[in-house]
Amino acid sequence: MVPASANVRRHFLSWERPLLPQAVSWLVAGWEGGHPLDLSRTLVIVPTRQSGRRLREALAIFAATKNQAAFPPRVLTPDTLISLSLGSDVASRSDALLAWIEVFLTIELPAFREVFPIDPPARNFAWACGVAHSFIRLQATLAEGGLTFAEVPFNAGDTFVEAARWVQLGALERLYERHLAEHGLKAPQAARIEAARGSAALAGIERIVLCATPDPLPLALQYLSAQAASLPVEILVFAPAAEGIGFDDWGRPRSEYWSQREIELPDFKKRVHLCAHPAAQAEQVAVLAGAYPNPPDVLGVGVADPEVLPLLTTALRRREVPSFNPEGRSRRQESLFRLLKVLVDLVREPTFAVVQLLALCPDFLALLCARLGNKFSVAKWLAELDELRARHLPGDLAAARHHARDESVIAGLAIVEELRGQLLARDFATSAAAALRLLFADRRLDLAEGTDAQLVEAASAWNEVVRECAAAGAHFPRLTTAEWWEFALRLYAGGFATEEKPLRALELQGWLELLWEDAPHLAIAGMNDGRVPESVSGDAYLPEALRTRLGLKNNEARFARDGYILQAVVSCRPRTDCLFGKTSTAGEPLRPSRLLLRCRDEALPDQVAFLFRAAPLVQPNFPWRRAWKLQPRSVPPPQRIRVTALRDYLQCPFRFYLRHVLRMESVKPGKTELDAMDFGTLCHSALEQIGKQPALRDCTDPVWLREVLVNEFDRAVRGRFGTRLTLPLVVQGESARQRLAKAAEIQARERAAGWIIEAVETPFEIEIGGMIVRGKIDRIERHGETGARRVLDYKTSDKASTPAAAHFNRPRRGETPAEWARFEMDGRLRVWTDLQLPLYLHALSLKSNDVMTGGYFNLPKAAGETGIALWEDYSPGLKTAALRCAEGVCTAIRAGEFWPPNETLNPEYDEFAALFHHGVAASIAKVAE
Amino acid sequence: MNALHHEMILASAGSGKTYALTNRFVALLARGAQPERIVALTFTRKAAGEFFDEILTKLATAAREPGYAQKLAAEIGHLDLGPADFLRMLRALVSGMHRLRLGTLDGFFARIVRSFPMELGLAGEFELLEEHAARLERQRVLRRIFADALELSAAQREFVEAFKRATFGTEEKRLGPRLEAFLDDYQDVYLTAPGAEQWGESARIWPDGCAWRFVEGSTPDGIAALRTALSGAALNDGQRARWEVFLNALADWAPGVPLPSASVDYILKNALDVWLGICAGRAEMVVERRKFIVEGEVAAALRRVITQMVGSELQRHLATTQGIHSVLRSYEMVYHERVRRAGKLTFSDVQRLLVPGGQVPLLAQDSGGAEAEESRLTIDYRLDGGIDHWLFDEFQDTSYGQWLVLRNLVDEALQDASGARSFFCVGDVKQAIYTWRQGDHRLFREIFNHYNGAMAGKIIERHLVDSFRSGPALIEMVNAVFGNQTVLKTMFPGEASEMWAREWRRHVSAVPQRTGQAALLHAPNEMERWILVSELLKELRPLERGLSCAVLVQTNEIARDLAEFLRKDGAMPAVAESDLHVCIDNPLGAAVLALLQAAAHPGDTLAWEQVQMTPLRVVLLAEGIGAPETLSERVLGQIHTNGFEWVVEFWLRKLEAGLGGDDAFSRERSGQMVRAAAEFDETGSNDVSEFGEFMERYVVRDVETPTAVRVMTVHKSKGLGFDVVLLPDLEGKKLAQARDGLAVHKNADRSVDWVLELPPKLFWRQDEVLARHMEVAEAETCYEKLALLYVAMTRAKRAMYVITQAVGSSKSQNYPRLLGNALGFETKKIQVGRIAPEGTWSSGDPEWHEEVKTAPARSEDPLIARIPPLEPRLIQIPRTGHPIRRPTSETKGFVRGGHLFGVDGSAGVDFGSAVHALLATVEWDDGMAAFTLARGKGSSMNDAALAEALACLTAPELAIVWNRPINAMSEVWRERAFEVVLDGTWISGVFDRVIVVHDTSGKVVRASVFDFKTDHVEDETDIWNARVRHSVQIATYCRVVSVLTGLALDAIEGKMVLTGPCRVVSMRSASG
Ligand code: SF4
Repeated sequence: MVPASANVRRHFLSWERPLLPQAVSWLVAGWEGGHPLDLSRTLVIVPTRQSGRRLREALAIFAATKNQAAFPPRVLTPDTLISLSLGSDVASRSDALLAWIEVFLTIELPAFREVFPIDPPARNFAWACGVAHSFIRLQATLAEGGLTFAEVPFNAGDTFVEAARWVQLGALERLYERHLAEHGLKAPQAARIEAARGSAALAGIERIVLCATPDPLPLALQYLSAQAASLPVEILVFAPAAEGIGFDDWGRPRSEYWSQREIELPDFKKRVHLCAHPAAQAEQVAVLAGAYPNPPDVLGVGVADPEVLPLLTTALRRREVPSFNPEGRSRRQESLFRLLKVLVDLVREPTFAVVQLLALCPDFLALLCARLGNKFSVAKWLAELDELRARHLPGDLAAARHHARDESVIAGLAIVEELRGQLLARDFATSAAAALRLLFADRRLDLAEGTDAQLVEAASAWNEVVRECAAAGAHFPRLTTAEWWEFALRLYAGGFATEEKPLRALELQGWLELLWEDAPHLAIAGMNDGRVPESVSGDAYLPEALRTRLGLKNNEARFARDGYILQAVVSCRPRTDCLFGKTSTAGEPLRPSRLLLRCRDEALPDQVAFLFRAAPLVQPNFPWRRAWKLQPRSVPPPQRIRVTALRDYLQCPFRFYLRHVLRMESVKPGKTELDAMDFGTLCHSALEQIGKQPALRDCTDPVWLREVLVNEFDRAVRGRFGTRLTLPLVVQGESARQRLAKAAEIQARERAAGWIIEAVETPFEIEIGGMIVRGKIDRIERHGETGARRVLDYKTSDKASTPAAAHFNRPRRGETPAEWARFEMDGRLRVWTDLQLPLYLHALSLKSNDVMTGGYFNLPKAAGETGIALWEDYSPGLKTAALRCAEGVCTAIRAGEFWPPNETLNPEYDEFAALFHHGVAASIAKVAE
Repeated sequence: MNALHHEMILASAGSGKTYALTNRFVALLARGAQPERIVALTFTRKAAGEFFDEILTKLATAAREPGYAQKLAAEIGHLDLGPADFLRMLRALVSGMHRLRLGTLDGFFARIVRSFPMELGLAGEFELLEEHAARLERQRVLRRIFADALELSAAQREFVEAFKRATFGTEEKRLGPRLEAFLDDYQDVYLTAPGAEQWGESARIWPDGCAWRFVEGSTPDGIAALRTALSGAALNDGQRARWEVFLNALADWAPGVPLPSASVDYILKNALDVWLGICAGRAEMVVERRKFIVEGEVAAALRRVITQMVGSELQRHLATTQGIHSVLRSYEMVYHERVRRAGKLTFSDVQRLLVPGGQVPLLAQDSGGAEAEESRLTIDYRLDGGIDHWLFDEFQDTSYGQWLVLRNLVDEALQDASGARSFFCVGDVKQAIYTWRQGDHRLFREIFNHYNGAMAGKIIERHLVDSFRSGPALIEMVNAVFGNQTVLKTMFPGEASEMWAREWRRHVSAVPQRTGQAALLHAPNEMERWILVSELLKELRPLERGLSCAVLVQTNEIARDLAEFLRKDGAMPAVAESDLHVCIDNPLGAAVLALLQAAAHPGDTLAWEQVQMTPLRVVLLAEGIGAPETLSERVLGQIHTNGFEWVVEFWLRKLEAGLGGDDAFSRERSGQMVRAAAEFDETGSNDVSEFGEFMERYVVRDVETPTAVRVMTVHKSKGLGFDVVLLPDLEGKKLAQARDGLAVHKNADRSVDWVLELPPKLFWRQDEVLARHMEVAEAETCYEKLALLYVAMTRAKRAMYVITQAVGSSKSQNYPRLLGNALGFETKKIQVGRIAPEGTWSSGDPEWHEEVKTAPARSEDPLIARIPPLEPRLIQIPRTGHPIRRPTSETKGFVRGGHLFGVDGSAGVDFGSAVHALLATVEWDDGMAAFTLARGKGSSMNDAALAEALACLTAPELAIVWNRPINAMSEVWRERAFEVVLDGTWISGVFDRVIVVHDTSGKVVRASVFDFKTDHVEDETDIWNARVRHSVQIATYCRVVSVLTGLALDAIEGKMVLTGPCRVVSMRSASG
């Protein structure tokens, strides 16, 4: 393609030693020490940033052998070489994206049906932004080969079926360029193509060395070609001269040669390792690294499959081998990004969930701390917010502020509001800066502190993005502030922070870096096809065939490049181990790299059988084992309990201990609706009114009663949740209203039948077995004619139940009930499960001698089952048994007996389920005394 | 060369389905087909991997062994081929492996979408949501829906109404769980049939009118009329009382809720039993065990009441069904807007997106009409150009939706007249156990009939019945059960048994020499069944004999419990091959999750107290954490800076330190949890609750292992074979139980005709339409159940022991009964080695296992071999890889937070580098410098920076920076890079400005290092701070200059130049 002039010379560096020392010797030839090693007039082009770094390091080491230091050469990658000569009028990334967005939002889509065969579902900013990103990628790929959209049809040959589409793409590209030109900007892709043609002299440079770069950008070669007119261009090829025919004039491996050449991998079956999955590969490499006293001295690690990388980092850390990813750390992994993400959410919609996310964010907590002074407590603030959520279920910030009572919550939420105000106050750049200054104003960052230094560095990267957006915003004012936030965050998230390598850290390098690795032992993980060689398929615009036609990098070229790299890497060191996986983490089958099959034909069947065998296991299956048993604190039992707690004890004494003695109570972070308890309380408070107002007490009109009940309910709801209800509350309110309406009918009927409410919400306290048991009776009634009395308890559980069914049962599977807890009924063994009504009746019997019945007023979800269920056959025998049981429970509690636990509880309804594994008793170390 | 046929292979279990498939692939290669023009699709990723491995192994073996090559050549009908030819094919295949189109259906579809985003209305790239990500999105959408508290919009009003209708009669107190249940159960149906007209529309369900006229006249009137009519009827006391209870209770009944009393149920049931008679005006109805003649007025009144009851109940369910539809639609609208349109699609979205004809407008607001249609055809056209051959695996599991996507493409291949293209599928309709996942085994026959109807012999059908897996004893049992048409017909009258009979072929064992045993054994209850499993295993000792062994059960829960039982009580290695919830199934995980919960929710005393019960308590104390306050500060800070993976690992590591040295299990779990947390970090969420949910749901599939008894569900065992199989979990009720939930009635083309939330059976059994629908649905279930049993009973190679409870008096039409009917009920002792449990049937050799030599344990060889380190003699040090130090990063001291973010986003950095760049252009102050500076730069220059640079250049105090030293030779280094090794550390940096002074002989005598600082300083304190900040950096510069020039350190002066106030600050005293 690009003709090389006589000024371009190839030099071969053999495989007897690794590349790096040889490249250094070549560059420093003639320097004897005594003065600085000055290479500042040489321009060296290397394949990647990381290889440049290695080269500079090697030069420093070399200079140090003569007690000197180096003025390094100018080291560039092919890509930065081009950027070097770009003018200042080139559009930024943001400009380019926004220009495209402008195009997509303003054109007549039907005029571009070849590109947009159908209208998108919604032609909005998000869609345009998505398309813009993919177009920019496409432009960049084409620009590598020096092409624009418009040029594709002319370069694709005669029988090009896609011409019409590319003509339209070309037209779109012109519109895009026009948008940029309107603001005096040049399209970056076109500018790069133009820059590559330029041959302006490079100031201060006397020679150019293209150093072991097997895959340079074609555009860069074009540039070098131009430079070769005035400067010597030396091409260093890392291969023995005998392999010369395998490379073109620029030192690129030739496809024809490398697609046929056998790749010699000595000791194949010992050096190529099949692993089940990425974690197994990571484990293998980590074990290997762990076998060296100081791994980086000996071992180089290449990771060709990005899926292995994080797993390897983790596996190494487990073995205390520090590692380092020269690619840098994604901005997404940094605290500033986490903060910005919450801010973007807050800009988009200040839901209470977002407020809570922000509330947890340490940067925000620091602000609260600074604003609210010493008395501010993180734990209290968070707990109060949870409480606020649990009690009032606010949908958004405004609702939360409306309900806030706690001082620090009021103040904190006001600061959230202030922050949101800042975020939206003015144009994006100004408000972004203002909001962040608000957050950080009172912070003092210690540069010696890793996390603070990281933040300072991240902040400057963010500033860069904001500045770019601000500049672009001047040209393309279409976006709303919220859209700007998302746009900027997306740009920022794509960036990487360069980190310094920690001491003794093992570098985890990408495949293309390996040519430059000089470790004697190299392990390469992820040698799977598609990764090495990388193959691209199914590209929506540039299928393989078109790439070939256009002279862009295709799969064949990648195969040649990677085949060459593998051969060079293996040949120049004592040992290289290749690992490949059988499946991905998600279980996708993987295949070994085709490079591993580039053997002599005779060897192929054997090699195939070896590579495609079943994967070995990493480790045997370990049987389940308990790491420890839980040791609950020992706390003295309470003196007073509620009646309802007795039921808990009967259900499970151990869980009673957890709930009522240790007072363990969970917070439901995702609570968005009423729980059973809230629901019951609200219904109760409505029903209570019937008993409180004399007029209602005697009312037999279901319509009126219903109205009152529903109004009371609504009032209670408003009092607790405000007037703006969230959707679940509306739905639940409906449900409650239905139930209350049905209850009104029953009430009217019962009143008509003579039952009059005597008292509601009657509290009592009695002493049983040395304990004070207290409770509150929902309602006591007397019959107007017969004088009979009865006690009713409201039940809002989903299913209606009868008192007998709720109070006792057969023994549970495997249960040996305490003597006091059981009784016989009709010759069958029964166990108490609740004592509520017996104790109500007992408490009342202490005050009066009237005969009383107990019962439930059921308000279940099936409206048809609403009604009163009386415990008609509550006999004196039962009463005696019940009191004996109550006595037993109280005595046991006082004696600190909370064992054995109930093993049969359905974990779905057991709030303590997370504590237990393979049995409750088995999970606990000792019973509290 | 023989002609290439389109083929359809019905391969019974173990008959070499994969073998046939790989042979086909090889045959295509032999005919010269280009590998990349063959599409071969499987259902699972695993099958896809195995398929490819097997093709390669086959070719490799044929290339090496002439005998094998000959056999293969014969099998594929290319007798002329020899090892060299197979080698050539092998080479071609591996060289083009990256171009192959061999994978799962899902993967194939996703690739199409990736290649044609614009044609499908996508904005370029899309993200495929794996299951956990999809669940997360659903949660977010629900939360979004739940957070709205503005005046209810019309849509929300509608939602509330719809929800009320959808849940009528059950006043739900919780919206969230119910809505999730709706989505779990009905979302698929909704997405297949989004049209409101398909949901609960009576005209569609009963096109000829419904026999139960909906609510005509009032029910009380009807009751009154019936009461009057009955008063004159001849009834005994008991009967009259019964009627009375019925009439009274009926008044309380409303449609949609359970019947109010047993009497209502009783009368309704008995009346419907003789419904035709009642309608005809005379019937004998049983009431209180005696006949009661219903006729005349009573008949008319009863008919009216019951018609009204049934009618109103149906009406109610129609309304509920419509309600469900509206609820789903409301949810879908939000989901659509927020998830799909944002380019996040699930696998099933991808498939729906590709269905031509846009039956379901997945992305477009409405289906987009002709343009969309045409655009979709373009895709087919382009795809078709690249594909010649189609191969399908497990074709019985293909869903109709998948078929719709493929239909046109496959049709092209089938209609191609040139004979150069082909269609091939294998499957076994007897193993169709995935109908609940939309697998549609009837497609097999329909496609065959479709093409062969048009042209006989178009597709060739072959049945493979030779089992290469099971020995004769096993096959005998399989034939006895599944070939007994009489038994099947009596138990499954109608379509189920007919379908089975059509596809059934008598099985033959292709390994007649393989000894073994098949038996049906009895045990009285679940525990005894499990004990028998354990006893059999102890007798057979399969693992010691090197035999693989599986116990197949019906649910994952049973698998888990039974494996636990075998390990504990049987003391044998057993693993449950179900999904393991590795983050919560052990104390470590529970403790760490509680820790995070307690940190994010300090009010959660449960979590806090739980943490305190674990060894974490001591760990926390050692870290200085004794109260929720410190815990929150610490852990939230950790999450914020490092992400969840780091945090989880941090605490787990601390806990691991206290674990028993031999506790490999907990350590393994710890590693798995860290990996889970890393996966969560990938989602980019930093929400602690989302993290908790994620971890709770996170599962790891237990790895397969040959050294344990594998306990798994029958579903999971599909496609696998084991030497010994035990089936102890075949109890259950009726086989014909259709799935609960919505009745979805489909047309012949599988489009949904109507959807109805079914009322209780009582209400539909006398309705012609519904009863017919249910009959078909039940036949479908029966067939699937039969298929499931077939799969279970065809997994064994040598021995199979089926253990059921004796049928006894139970009337259940279940598996035990089916087996009894087929194999007999007569109990006897069945010999299995030295034990003799009760049973009814046995074939083969009870001593079979004695012949199998005990094999050495295979524990070692499948484990991965570690890579040995390099021998020391090959190691030469030193090499590169030093840690790098950059002087600029050696800044110490403090920065004020407020200064991090500039007013216009421009903080110090940009400004600073502009000033630096300007100052670097100045060599010496020759009087013209300021002028050159002002003129030299382009228009885009930063004005403030220029002003500052100019000020620096002209400030008298900075003269020493710019003036060429008098009476000496000197050079200046401006913005000059250096590389050096100091104290074993590689240092890489750039000098701002260094003046090196030579004496007249050219010898270097001294040097000054100037470092420009654009720090914001206001007063002397700031200056002092800046000096502290930069002292180390400038000291390093001085040392580097010393190396470069050979000067002693005291001949080098380090100076900081503050560009703002134009001050030179000497660093000498500060650097100490
Ligand atoms: S799963 Fe069984 S029947 Fe199917 S191909 Fe494999 S061995 Fe043959």
